[in-house]
Amino acid sequence: MSAGHTFFSVTGLTKDFGGIRAVDDLCFSVEKGSITGIIGPNGAGKTTVFNLVTGVYRPTSGAIHLMGEPIGGLRPDAIVRKGIARTFQNIRLFNRQSCLENVMTPLLQRERHSFVGSVLRTPGARRRQRDLADRGRSLLASLGLEPFASQQANTLPYGLQRKLEIVRALATGPELLLLDEPAAGMNPEETKRLAELIAEIRERFDVTILLIEHHMDLVMNICEPIVVMNFGALLACGTPDEVRSNPDVIAAYLGKGKKSHDASAQG
Amino acid sequence: MFLQTLITGLSIGGIYALMAVGYSLVFSVLNFSNFAHGAVIMLGAYVGLALATKLSLGFGLVLAGSVAGAGIIAVLNERLAYSVLRRRKAPSLYLMISAMGCSVFLENLVYATIGSRFYAFPEFFGRQVLTLWGSSVSLLDMGAFLFALVSIFALHVFISSTRTGIAIRAGVSDMTMCSLMGVDLNRLIAIVFLLAGGFAGVAGVFLGIKYLVYPTMGWVTNKAYIAAVIGGLGSLPGALAGGLILGVVETFVSSYVSSVLRDVFSFSLLIAFLVLRPNGLMGQDTEEKV
Repeated sequence: MSAGHTFFSVTGLTKDFGGIRAVDDLCFSVEKGSITGIIGPNGAGKTTVFNLVTGVYRPTSGAIHLMGEPIGGLRPDAIVRKGIARTFQNIRLFNRQSCLENVMTPLLQRERHSFVGSVLRTPGARRRQRDLADRGRSLLASLGLEPFASQQANTLPYGLQRKLEIVRALATGPELLLLDEPAAGMNPEETKRLAELIAEIRERFDVTILLIEHHMDLVMNICEPIVVMNFGALLACGTPDEVRSNPDVIAAYLGKGKKSHDASAQG
Repeated sequence: MFLQTLITGLSIGGIYALMAVGYSLVFSVLNFSNFAHGAVIMLGAYVGLALATKLSLGFGLVLAGSVAGAGIIAVLNERLAYSVLRRRKAPSLYLMISAMGCSVFLENLVYATIGSRFYAFPEFFGRQVLTLWGSSVSLLDMGAFLFALVSIFALHVFISSTRTGIAIRAGVSDMTMCSLMGVDLNRLIAIVFLLAGGFAGVAGVFLGIKYLVYPTMGWVTNKAYIAAVIGGLGSLPGALAGGLILGVVETFVSSYVSSVLRDVFSFSLLIAFLVLRPNGLMGQDTEEKV
């Protein structure tokens, strides 16, 4: 594969859990600046792909490239430093910490830091700490979370927790942002606003976005191209219209004699 | 008499707190009960003893050497016995069993090499006493209590204001997420064990000076588990408060009631806390970890 020119690609990606092949020889690529969607019935292996890409799992075989560099099998923290950040389907914030602290954790990791300085609170260290806190606050402000900066993360309403998770991922300074079902549990009105927000984030933070979603209206509206997975393998890939009219995709979603896997996928 | 008993209690409580802090720190990050913590305390005491008797070093250097020695031992312990399990995402029960194995192994290693003799530290403080409000208080007791307070406060500052400290707090709530924020978990966990081991070293030296050095001296860590539960597992201020409360209560029970009843009382306290207030005095709700 021409890994040298694609922004992000997975080639022959495979993951076995015991005897079960969760991801099966998967190949797809993502172009810089795009909002690429991954769809597929429940259990198709979409989240496993995210776990492989972010280093939470190690691939059984296959390669993952970001900007020409192989990143498959690296540790999660190394992959974050290469420029990939993610959110989770079930929100995973640092619940006991304030919103600002949630964002500060990744910001601090990117910073050069003097141990002695921060324990002794030297003027230099204090200034750096203040600068960093200011950056944290402006990041929160960019998604309208600034008023909640000192509030404990798990006391926020659900929708805001999702936003906070996105801000925290952005605080790692990613090139590629992975969103795992960002619209889960949202009503159509909220989903519409989220779609606008995602498009806006792409512009403002100059990131490429790869997202998993079951809300078809969101995917069909803002994603191009769309990658369709079924049973761990690539089923189809193309523009929303191509995917919508692809007979394999229709069969996978409506089932051949089987019941539909997921009601929300019909939307 | 009352003040003397109180200071003795606070000094023992300070040592319990030093042990409980390290134990609690490991528990809060890796979510398993590190039963090898007592063995690390025991080895820390032997390191201090060797420095004091073979090299005739002064108290400060003995303490520093023991902190470094026990810290390194704790890190090695994690690398050799826990890290593989951790990377395989084994259930925490396995880590706990591995820790029990380490504890028995290290104790018997000392029996086999150094022997079962009881050793005493040289008398660093002699029998110096301070006179406070008419009662005499041992300098060692006072020193152990103050040192415990200062070092636990220093740990608190470290956890709340440094980059690594903030990463440790993030790790307490979600390790995977913490690594997805760019934190190198192997390094972070090594630091946690280095800190826990360092505190174990301090506790080992104070225990050795106050009592004696012998292979099973680490069993006193049982008291640290109680202290950690009373204070609230995973909470640093809780470990300090729990240690001090347990130390004082124990000392008062043994001097005013009966020394035979001391441990009966301590362990009843443990069970009472687990039943009535499982989150301890300052612990956080356990519901969210579910």
